[in-house]
Amino acid sequence: MNFENVVVCFVRFRSSNLTQTLHTFVGEEVCYLDLLTKINYMKKQIQNALVCLFFVASFGLYAQQTVSGVVTDESGNPLPSVNVVAKGTSTGVSTDFDGNYTISVANGSALVFSSIGFETLELTVAGATLNATLSESASELDEVVVIGYGTTTVKDATGSVASITTEDFNQGAIVSSDQLLTGKVAGVVITNSGGAPDAAPNIRIRGGASLSAENSPLIVIDGVPLDVVTPAGVGNPLSLINPNDIASFSILKDASATAIYGSRASNGVILIMTKKGTLGETKYNLSMSASMSEVSDKLELMDGPTFERFINEYHPTYANLLGVNGVMYNTDWQDAVFRTSYSSIVNFSVAGSVEEKTPYRFSLGHTNTEGLVNTNDYERLSTTFRINPSFFDEKLKVDFNAKAFYVNKNAIDEGGALGNIVSMDPTKPIYDENSAFGGYYQGTRQDGGLTVLDGTWNPVAMLMQRQRPEKLLRILTNMELDYSLPFVEGLRAVVNVGLEKSDADIREAFSQNAIATYKVGRFNPGENYREEQSITNKTLEGYLAYTIDFDGLLQSLDAQAGYSYQNFQNEGTKELYQYDETSGAREVLVNENNPTNRYYSDLNLQSFFGRTNLNFAGKYLVTLSVRADASSLFAEDNRWGIFPAAAIAWRLSDETFIESLNVFDNLKLRAGWGETGQSNISGAVGYYPSYPFFQIGSATSKYLPGENLYNARMFNPNLTWEKTTTLNAGIDFGVFNGVLSGSVDVFKRDTNDLLANAPVPPGQAPASSFIDNIGSTESEGFEVSIDVLAIDTQNSSLNVFANGAYAKTTITDLNGIKQVGAGGGLPIGTGTFLLRHALNQQAGAAWVFRQMYNEAGEPVYNAFADLNQDGVITNDDRYLRAMRPNYTFGFGFNFNYKQLSLSSSFRGQYGGQVYNARRLTSGFTERPVPVNTQALSNVLNFYNGAANPIIYDQKGNVAFSDYFLEDASFIRCENITLGYAFEPLNNGTQIQASFTVNNAFLFTKYSGQDPENFGGIDNNFYPRPRVFTLGLNFDF
Amino acid sequence: MKKILLLFFVATLAVSCVDDLNTKPEIDLTLEELLKQDPNAVSGILSRLYGSFALSGADGPGSSDIDDDAGESPFLRGIVNLQDFTADGLKNRWGDDGLDQLTTTSKWDENNKFFRYMYNRIYYTIPQANNLINVLSGVDVANKSQIEGEVRFLRALAYYYLIDCFGKGVLANEENFGQSAPLPEVSRTELYNYVESELLAVEGLLPDSNSYGRADKAAAQFLLARLYMNAEVYTGTTQYANALTYAEKVITGSGHSLAPEFLQNFSADNHTSPEIIFPLIADADVSQSYGNTTYIVNGSLSGETMTLSDYGATDGWGGHRASKGWYGLFAADAAGLAASSDKRAHLFWTGGHAYEMESYEKWSDGFPSIKFRNSAFNNPTGTNTSFSSTDFPLFRLADAYLMYAEAQLKGGGGTAATALQYVNDVRSRAGATVISASELTADFILDERGRELNFEGVRRSDLIRNGKFTGASYTWPWKGNTLNGSTIPDYYKLFPIPQRSLEANPNLTQNTGY
Repeated sequence: MNFENVVVCFVRFRSSNLTQTLHTFVGEEVCYLDLLTKINYMKKQIQNALVCLFFVASFGLYAQQTVSGVVTDESGNPLPSVNVVAKGTSTGVSTDFDGNYTISVANGSALVFSSIGFETLELTVAGATLNATLSESASELDEVVVIGYGTTTVKDATGSVASITTEDFNQGAIVSSDQLLTGKVAGVVITNSGGAPDAAPNIRIRGGASLSAENSPLIVIDGVPLDVVTPAGVGNPLSLINPNDIASFSILKDASATAIYGSRASNGVILIMTKKGTLGETKYNLSMSASMSEVSDKLELMDGPTFERFINEYHPTYANLLGVNGVMYNTDWQDAVFRTSYSSIVNFSVAGSVEEKTPYRFSLGHTNTEGLVNTNDYERLSTTFRINPSFFDEKLKVDFNAKAFYVNKNAIDEGGALGNIVSMDPTKPIYDENSAFGGYYQGTRQDGGLTVLDGTWNPVAMLMQRQRPEKLLRILTNMELDYSLPFVEGLRAVVNVGLEKSDADIREAFSQNAIATYKVGRFNPGENYREEQSITNKTLEGYLAYTIDFDGLLQSLDAQAGYSYQNFQNEGTKELYQYDETSGAREVLVNENNPTNRYYSDLNLQSFFGRTNLNFAGKYLVTLSVRADASSLFAEDNRWGIFPAAAIAWRLSDETFIESLNVFDNLKLRAGWGETGQSNISGAVGYYPSYPFFQIGSATSKYLPGENLYNARMFNPNLTWEKTTTLNAGIDFGVFNGVLSGSVDVFKRDTNDLLANAPVPPGQAPASSFIDNIGSTESEGFEVSIDVLAIDTQNSSLNVFANGAYAKTTITDLNGIKQVGAGGGLPIGTGTFLLRHALNQQAGAAWVFRQMYNEAGEPVYNAFADLNQDGVITNDDRYLRAMRPNYTFGFGFNFNYKQLSLSSSFRGQYGGQVYNARRLTSGFTERPVPVNTQALSNVLNFYNGAANPIIYDQKGNVAFSDYFLEDASFIRCENITLGYAFEPLNNGTQIQASFTVNNAFLFTKYSGQDPENFGGIDNNFYPRPRVFTLGLNFDF
Repeated sequence: MKKILLLFFVATLAVSCVDDLNTKPEIDLTLEELLKQDPNAVSGILSRLYGSFALSGADGPGSSDIDDDAGESPFLRGIVNLQDFTADGLKNRWGDDGLDQLTTTSKWDENNKFFRYMYNRIYYTIPQANNLINVLSGVDVANKSQIEGEVRFLRALAYYYLIDCFGKGVLANEENFGQSAPLPEVSRTELYNYVESELLAVEGLLPDSNSYGRADKAAAQFLLARLYMNAEVYTGTTQYANALTYAEKVITGSGHSLAPEFLQNFSADNHTSPEIIFPLIADADVSQSYGNTTYIVNGSLSGETMTLSDYGATDGWGGHRASKGWYGLFAADAAGLAASSDKRAHLFWTGGHAYEMESYEKWSDGFPSIKFRNSAFNNPTGTNTSFSSTDFPLFRLADAYLMYAEAQLKGGGGTAATALQYVNDVRSRAGATVISASELTADFILDERGRELNFEGVRRSDLIRNGKFTGASYTWPWKGNTLNGSTIPDYYKLFPIPQRSLEANPNLTQNTGY
């Protein structure tokens, strides 16, 4: 099917002329490349425009005036004791018994009317009289929560759903949307893979259930589930939505909530809702921030003089290799590569409505971030447009949403640069004016009259001599039509069509005299790699929704039934190069059988789903859902999976015996059961793992002369859904008029038919391992969230929140096998792996020997405990130690006093292990000894305890010593924000200023750089920056 | 209004999209598509099977068929590592975990990744062959029985290394291909019997001669001879008569002859040598691998003491040096090597190097072997490349000559005069003095095999067959991880079954001693 054209037309959709728009359905195409040109142009104009806006916004002049009026409720009754405050000031009065007030304020400023039990109202002063009508407030319990294919309220939710809105978001230099959430939700752990601006976020809800299949939650943006692959060059898919456009997140944790998303939902679902337009006055927002970042933790390597001393003490025969021609330098290679980086974020948005009935919102954002590593620059331009027209007396509601992003980053060779700053000899200089390599020092030697490279490549030159711009243009549009059918009361039909199109362009090029291009005595500046990729994802979902209220025990019924179609297409071409062996010239590597090195994949997911919510007596809530899913990854016979779920909730606080206690504002018990599925194994085995296909060998992998080479790919026709069954019980409570509220959840989860990369029995398939449905895991855990409104007065408020979670996943079956490898490659050569999936252990546990220590507490080289006491040290003496932390937590506060605000949030983990691979690779005394070069390698500082000279090599069992495992517990101060709201200007402009420190400090016992490490093995780590941000926000 | 309803109607029609679930890869092809596109595709699949002994994967030298490192794990690299570095003549100095234990014949255990690489390569090649046999049964190609013979030969070759290195394993063939329940373990004798019967069967299917790089009758006969030579080690029963018969078939019936110059067999143009019976092909441009002769050539060179371009190379990895276990068979010092009339004694780089290998980790201790090189024999000042273009002579006529002599001497029939003639043919070709009948002993032949065949992947088997590998009756530098060599236990005649394989098939058991 091809509805791509249809969707593209939506880009053109303007506002109210639906008929005209429907005409365009017939297939008029809009080349979105036009948009690219426009966006490029806009990009240049934006900063100028924003500067102008800033001046416009500042034109207002101060002028005081007296305003008076009467405040009434919706029935027209006067309201006494209503607080009337000039917005952003401490100036305020209360209404009298007849609802009257008088206040002196700046012209054009806003008044805020507030009273317990009523919605707070904000009105702009436009004359001497200003009357206000307050509407009764819906309590927090009536807050709408999005749950997928519909909404519910906090009060009526039956599953474990956490909702996070703008006021809860993390502050500061937020580049990607996951950073808004970090530490805010119990049981949701977000570990970015380091400090790069585009670092992948690794999100785990309740620890993840799978082994080799995807463990990340499903992410749904405005109803459109995100792709399973990230476009080329993009590290973090969540950086492809501007955090400033996000209104709220819903996090569905248990199966009863997620089952409606069936497939892909085993690891929870994160629903992201973007901001919408508003009825009423047009609101403009301009926010700007400037940040400065610095390295928070460096490695304790030796400096020049210390290294010289070390070589003279431990390896005197190699002392002649120190320095350059006897001259000793003292280079801190970490300082040479890291920088103090500067970043800026500018966002502008307009929210309003057309003719007071069609809300729209438009936003523009520009982010320019420098990574801590030199040349690692990241720039993003984003724009969104959303409009929500209604037709036929509100019977047809349309939600049209278009988002476009342009990203340009310079990708660095992270492993190379970060690895070489560790190994590079500190007695060598960065620059050498006689160097042929563009003025950078580089070790060389002579061979057959030719200068050849020798030793570690200068990491500064590696960064400066290579450019790898990775550019991406992505357009994400969707349109939801929600039509209340005329013939049946309460019946709606909803259709959501979405299109995602990404075009990525990667070009790697080297400058003149680049070390990396030096071959056979010549340099090869210019292009070295090129990739162009195009991703097209289509979504179509349609469902019927029926809502009916009854008198009697069953008070209401709410049901949905529908169909979902998703297709993900990823294709691209690559230009590969090789060096001519004779001349040393770089040339295009031609593969006659696939001249453009094209790649292509196509994934299709389809589902039928249904859900019903029943409300009995207003107190007993029941949700039932079922979903049938099919994935093209599986062969036809194993393709469909059926995932049912059920949940009940009991609103205890609506029972008279609880109400009479006068303690609880809210008390609800919840219980849910459900099955969900997982099929995303494309990362492990590609997109066609179930059928036999032949691969065409590359141009360099031919064998018999004159023959092409065709390779039979491994496949497994028996692959099918991994299934997870979750039981969840929870309690939501609120006591003492909102002072204390929170929730507690406990869960138990069983995953069967686990998709895991398992070794195949030798000889029985042409592979040494492949994905298969093997075994089971069992998880259990709990989550607690607490919110305390400690102070709530007219001038000040203090809100304290805390959350904690425990999650533990144990492997209960592996198809008769006791353990399988789980990766965790140790950086000593290749092929040495630390981690295992073992029976009755947590997934990915380290399989290690117990290190022996002498009386002084020093480790004894290569001495391990003979655990089975058979007199020899074998694998039978190894034990498994869980790497993943079981306890995670977050806490923080928001404090307001008049115009000042102070907030902070912290997060951390208790337990878990991190393997300090730096001590393994750079903490043994033989490390500096050159192998086949004339260059020494730097080491951790043995003289200050950063490494222990007792460990002199890393062969055999040494690397598997538990000596290298360290406690990964930590508490990190995610951010501290101090804010100040200025007196509004008399044109109504409100200005807030803030100062934020992100990653302010870290408490940990870990001896390495950073214990927060997703893979558990700390090596070549891109340090997380400490960021200082000054922000300004204008509302007008 | 009607248009809206129409839209919903269209949406519900989406149900008909269920067909979209049958996605197709477009770049990869089904067998039918492949044959339609390239009628010669079966040769391409066969080429891939041949290539599995030299290439790491189908997608360039960085790709790997097995989930182990592309550079370290190729089949031929494993043959050299396991056969030559564990023996007397060659040592590696990198100190890599695993390789270091091979080079010092010490601390062998099931975690050593180099055993895993070899085991995985063997059991990658075998099911590829089984798959191809099944594929062949469904397609119509010319020379089907010959191709089937080649596939079965390659499978037997992979099994040969299983028998020799690990001594047991599962018997996977085309009949149980695709079975998911773990196969039972079979003994060394059962594997031996299977390989013997397969080779006897394919001898009749293979042609008298085949295009370069492909197996002919002589290849099967040579492998049978090698299998029979070691039969006592593998089964407890000697088969020297059969060994002699098949060596003789190769010598007299294959049309191969000794290359006039020894070095012709180890240079970049060695595909022109009349002596090579079965090569593993390497090509710097179109057949790149870090595990073909690139490993031998680059691994033996270092700019520290040598000029790489002298040997057609651009990269010197500075890893392998011979020990006096090899060059000691020619002379007791560097001067003696230089003075020797035996041209094979000149194939060691002595400048800047010490004769004694006081430290196996020090590059300049011990002489690097310059037997294999990437320069052409006929035009040695050609181009220098980072990958090697020298084919590996997996089976070579001189080896058959020496097998005949050894089998004859050990009671396999034939005539002593022919045996002596063959040994002297090998020696005179290299410029060595001829020997008399009384000098032709089993020990002499073992030494001659060292002089002639070291670095060609047979040394460990030769030492085991002659009772010299384990124990202390014969030592070499760094045997048992001591400078002058020390005893190693008898169970080191087999390598341990890798941990991973034991985990993957619970029917597999560890070799005694490990």
